[in-house]
Amino acid sequence: MDARERKLRAKIPGSDTGIEVCKSICAICDPTTQCGLDLSIRDGRIIKVEGSRENPHNGGTLCCKGAATRQYVYNEDRLRTPLRRTGPRGSGRFESISWDEALDTIVDNLERVRARSGPEAAVFYVGYPKQMRPFVQRLAMQFGSPNFCTESSTCFTATAMAFKLVYGQMAGPDVAHTRCLLAWSANPFYSNTPAARGLLDAIDRGMRLIVVDPRCTPLASRADIHLQLVPGSDGALALGMAHVIIEEGLYDREFVAAFAHGFADFRTYVAGFDPQRVERITGVPAEKIRAAARLYATAAPAAILPSAAPVGHNTNGVQNYRAVFSLIGLTGNFDVEGGNRVTPYSWLEVGGAGFVTRQHEFEMPRPWSDLAPRVGSARFPVWADLVDQAQAMDLPRQIRTGDPYPLRALVAFGLNHRMFPDSAGFLESLQQLEFICDIDLFATGSSRYADIVLPACSSVERSELRCYPEQYVALSQPAIAPIGESRSDTDIVFDLARRLALADPLLNPGPGGEVEPADAFDAALDWILAPSGMSVAELKKHPGGMPVPNPLKYVARKYREVGFPTPTGKMEFASSLLDRYSTELGVDALPTYRPPRYSAEGSPDLARDYPLILNTGSRLPMFVHSRTYRLPWTNGLRPRPTADLNPADARRLGIEEGDEIDLSTPAGAIRVHAGLTELARPGVVHMYHGHPEADVNLLLEADYLDPISGFPGFKALLCRVEKVSSRRDAEESPLADHTHERSGAGNE
Amino acid sequence: MSSSFHLDLDRCSGCFACTVACLDQNDIEVHDEPAAWRQVFAVESGEYPDAHLRYVSLACMHCEDAPCLLACPTGAVRRDVATQAVQVEADLCIGCHSCSIACPFGVPRFGVDGKMEKCDLCGERLKYGLEPACVRVCPTRALACGSPNELGASVSRRAARRLADEGEKS
Repeated sequence: MDARERKLRAKIPGSDTGIEVCKSICAICDPTTQCGLDLSIRDGRIIKVEGSRENPHNGGTLCCKGAATRQYVYNEDRLRTPLRRTGPRGSGRFESISWDEALDTIVDNLERVRARSGPEAAVFYVGYPKQMRPFVQRLAMQFGSPNFCTESSTCFTATAMAFKLVYGQMAGPDVAHTRCLLAWSANPFYSNTPAARGLLDAIDRGMRLIVVDPRCTPLASRADIHLQLVPGSDGALALGMAHVIIEEGLYDREFVAAFAHGFADFRTYVAGFDPQRVERITGVPAEKIRAAARLYATAAPAAILPSAAPVGHNTNGVQNYRAVFSLIGLTGNFDVEGGNRVTPYSWLEVGGAGFVTRQHEFEMPRPWSDLAPRVGSARFPVWADLVDQAQAMDLPRQIRTGDPYPLRALVAFGLNHRMFPDSAGFLESLQQLEFICDIDLFATGSSRYADIVLPACSSVERSELRCYPEQYVALSQPAIAPIGESRSDTDIVFDLARRLALADPLLNPGPGGEVEPADAFDAALDWILAPSGMSVAELKKHPGGMPVPNPLKYVARKYREVGFPTPTGKMEFASSLLDRYSTELGVDALPTYRPPRYSAEGSPDLARDYPLILNTGSRLPMFVHSRTYRLPWTNGLRPRPTADLNPADARRLGIEEGDEIDLSTPAGAIRVHAGLTELARPGVVHMYHGHPEADVNLLLEADYLDPISGFPGFKALLCRVEKVSSRRDAEESPLADHTHERSGAGNE
Repeated sequence: MSSSFHLDLDRCSGCFACTVACLDQNDIEVHDEPAAWRQVFAVESGEYPDAHLRYVSLACMHCEDAPCLLACPTGAVRRDVATQAVQVEADLCIGCHSCSIACPFGVPRFGVDGKMEKCDLCGERLKYGLEPACVRVCPTRALACGSPNELGASVSRRAARRLADEGEKS
């Protein structure tokens, strides 16, 4: 082998090897990570992937999912042309058609539905990634439909709602300056890998760490105090900590007196949560609860690191997280350096990037009052008051009942039925729609139900705007040509706006005007970016991104000047908004604790037959929702659908590592393999979601939801586990056929 | 100067990024068997509530006195002059598995052609000033590559700081 061949084999960039390094970003997970990529490209094809060093978020590193980018981009399941369904829905029979024909078919259907049933009969949905959300929302609203909904109907929004109910706004942890971090069911080692390095650095410099997590995660194993609670008991634990903090006089009297509403009632309520009682509810020793409360309350400054979903995935999720977040104000750690800081929202769920945009004005071109009521607004009125989207969890009900009006068409970007509890029921409800369009990277089990399927680009084939909390911003540029005939999701939005002849110069600038249609995306971004002082032209000069110019400076304790954006203008221990709905929804103004609807405490009869707690979807390092099951490099790290349980439970049930087990609830059963690990707390079974061969959402009922957020109780219900061979015959499966359906995982 | 890997066990979180980066660098296809040249293991000890989980990322150690090299009957396993990495010359490998029996770390893998494959320390990348793919990708900076003495000195520096901090606390 000569020197050039060796260089080629080692993929060394250079003119002699013809290997060029192009900048891009990874959008396999989303939205607060999205690492910068250095793609080694030869003859127009990616041959190797690395993290970009200049991107301060990932600093040259990646996680195992991003490292598998090539198998994502060049996956055999990638859609290559627009498709029209030729067989029955779900059959997977399609024919290729042209883009013109496909887009005209979508427009014809949308216009027919609007003419007959009104624009609200058309639902617009976005799964992953998130970059097209503001554009699709504007498309929906300009079309006249209030029904823009997203994957955030089950992710993150409940956390944001809990914050908003207490403080009127979000406040993120200032990890760089805190002396004590209270990580509440967050494990960035698996969910936001670049952040893990910062946490380790903080631990190295002496930051104290308290971790609340039912699992023995890599973060929990590094904690000074690990509160390994029973899933779903977070609220009781937080109230127990508040009890200790108040009883021992460790709270911020000045803050509470001047800036809080409802403290007296809160104090009376938490008096009932002494650590001994909380130990009985949560399984956390009373002494550990006391120690954690003292450490958090006295470290000053101390910060709470929330997570996107686990606490919210509970039938009492928002109330539980309200109790947790109340600790921030109680201890005087709200909006201070090293505590939880309020920073201005920048773009696509990222705050604190040091600039502001017109995202909200862009995605909300008209007020809700102009439009019909959103899907879910009657059933989840608190959601409707706090969130500018429809709540997708109410879709299947409204499709079935037509109450309060019929839904007829669905245009979805990245539809994944496995996101919904009772995923099979959701698929059935889709059969009632007159028209379904799905836009996706891959042929999925959900796209089989669409009438028209459009191929979308991956992040390395298109351009998108992305910003980072390190005050860094990037407008990525295509690194390779689109796979097949695939197009960027945003290009599809602008094309639909043009064909629908929407009167909107930003979405449909029209030919011959100031902005050519081909430049509409850039022009819209410039409009959105106007308050930041940045422009598309400037950003394009820095394909790997650039530091935000003149980033906004952080100012502490802004509430002293402007109050809190809550109904009382104060931090609300007792929520004025929830008080309004107390009768209608049966919820309390205080952050009251209720056990999960299906739990030993909440449903003792059920617990006799289903004695284990089922916790679904807690992150694993190689998966993010359903997006990497189809990649051999990541799926090979955990090749079989596996439920994790504690070795002590397994011994009791006669189960050994790798055994086939049936995991069941009253709603259904799936057959999986047993993974024995001390990661799992005794009494808890963990099953990752979205698996194409073992979809755990079949085990949940469609209405197992938090009445405040509409979020499913994914993280706390009851189940039973049985070893297959201990029953009649391993071949005689009691399971319904659909649990063995082999199909691609969706691009949730 | 020889190079070797170092793993900071306090920082390894079992994320598998190193495993996949190695697969990507070396175009390794994954079938049913563990084919990756770098493997990650979760090591559990104790039981709830005192369970402890640790993670170890493991690839060829490029031993100074490499048992695989001594065991190889054909000279297929050899040491690279420039990097001192232990490498395999596939043309000379007869697939006898002697290296596999000799290796105390279970490193040698055998491809579909039956020939031994393993980590080559990304020796060619080292020549051009690039880190091994697994080191470059590591999100917690647990993996490092360099001269064993320099790596040892950096570990000592951290230990010294820890000792000083402990002294200050007590």
